[in-house]
Amino acid sequence: MSAFELVTPRSVEEAIASLRASDGTGSAPLAGGTDLLLDIDDGRAAPARVVSLRRLPWRTLDWVGGALTIGSTLPLRSLEDDPGVRAQLPGLYQAVHAVGSVALRHRATIGGNLGRSAPASDLIPMLLALDAEVDLVGPSAERRLSVNDFVRASRRTALAPGELIRSVRVPESRPSAYVWQRVRLANDISQIAVAVAYSPSGRRWSVAVGGMPPRPVLLPEVARGLGNARPTDPALRAAGERATREVTIAADQRASEEYRRRLVGTLLGRAVRSVDVAEGVHR
Amino acid sequence: MTAASADLTVNGRRASFTALPDDERLLDTLRWRLGLKGTKEGCRTGDCGACTVLVDGRSTLSCLTLTREVEDAAITTIDLGAGDREVDRVRAAFAAAGALQCGYCTPGFVIALAGLLKERGRSLSLDEILDSLQGNLCRCTGYAAIARAAALAREAAP
Repeated sequence: MSAFELVTPRSVEEAIASLRASDGTGSAPLAGGTDLLLDIDDGRAAPARVVSLRRLPWRTLDWVGGALTIGSTLPLRSLEDDPGVRAQLPGLYQAVHAVGSVALRHRATIGGNLGRSAPASDLIPMLLALDAEVDLVGPSAERRLSVNDFVRASRRTALAPGELIRSVRVPESRPSAYVWQRVRLANDISQIAVAVAYSPSGRRWSVAVGGMPPRPVLLPEVARGLGNARPTDPALRAAGERATREVTIAADQRASEEYRRRLVGTLLGRAVRSVDVAEGVHR
Repeated sequence: MTAASADLTVNGRRASFTALPDDERLLDTLRWRLGLKGTKEGCRTGDCGACTVLVDGRSTLSCLTLTREVEDAAITTIDLGAGDREVDRVRAAFAAAGALQCGYCTPGFVIALAGLLKERGRSLSLDEILDSLQGNLCRCTGYAAIARAAALAREAAP
């Protein structure tokens, strides 16, 4: 006996209908499966129907000017391999590279990472700092939400029944960085992580913290404290202290509250110092 | 249907099943239906890399892949005979470097490295190769010899 029924629709309309048709017994979309299948194995998820997205035309990556649109089922490895991502969105490259192993990234997708919304997601903090948006398709309409509005809590998103993530949009190229702390350097989950990005058009910083429950969060006050260019060392230290004070730190099995609190300012300093602000000015 | 028929291409051979459960993992199909026991089950949570196979030439964790999801693809496992350029080269490098102790992780390492050479060829530095093998664990901690094998396999690339 199979734990679930697998369906493989050939069109977006069919996929939406398949997801909706099983409401009540539970359905789940399957992209790379690297998170969903683990949850099914552990009994944290028990969908009666799994809807494979592999035949949908969403394995895309499109640059228009400095804006990047990433199809939701594009494997993370393809995103990491794009020379534009590495050059124009270095923080996104670092965040993608931080997810699992090469073999995992050959299947894992950005849509899956957002849709599953793990509290320790490496991609969500970076997407927050890049002011990324998600484009959703559903039974009645299409809509666009900021990643900040899309992610609700640990494992909870704004996705309505029958709704799917079609793509993720990063509005502009930004000098950026993603730094993390882990028990093991390789193939582990971050205990705490900091994503920073500098917007050349708005002359402002964004800062997000992730790696702990309930969800990655933006720290707008801390970002403001970094000013509108490369911060001086005292300003950066003050921002780190502010982050340490202001961010709501939670403990879980991977790290204590105190450990995370001690690290957040350090990681912020490391991240900001590694960003080449001037890079964005000439673009 | 939750157990329909299925066709799979493994190591160049076509395999057909009359009733394959929808939730079956590629790892289990390979080991228990096809008897290809070279591919190992380690953690079954995507952390150890022992179950690595190639799907259309790309390294993939067979424990986290539904068999039905790769029906249209070409699967390559460590049980492949001689004839694949990269797999042959990596096998030779592992033998020359003596890069195994208990051997349980070896099929995963060989396939992951062969896949990396297919993907990137000579453009990879040794550091990048070692970084890319971080998803494969050796519980004997025999990493020094594995790193020597990786260097040999890289030097042998055309």
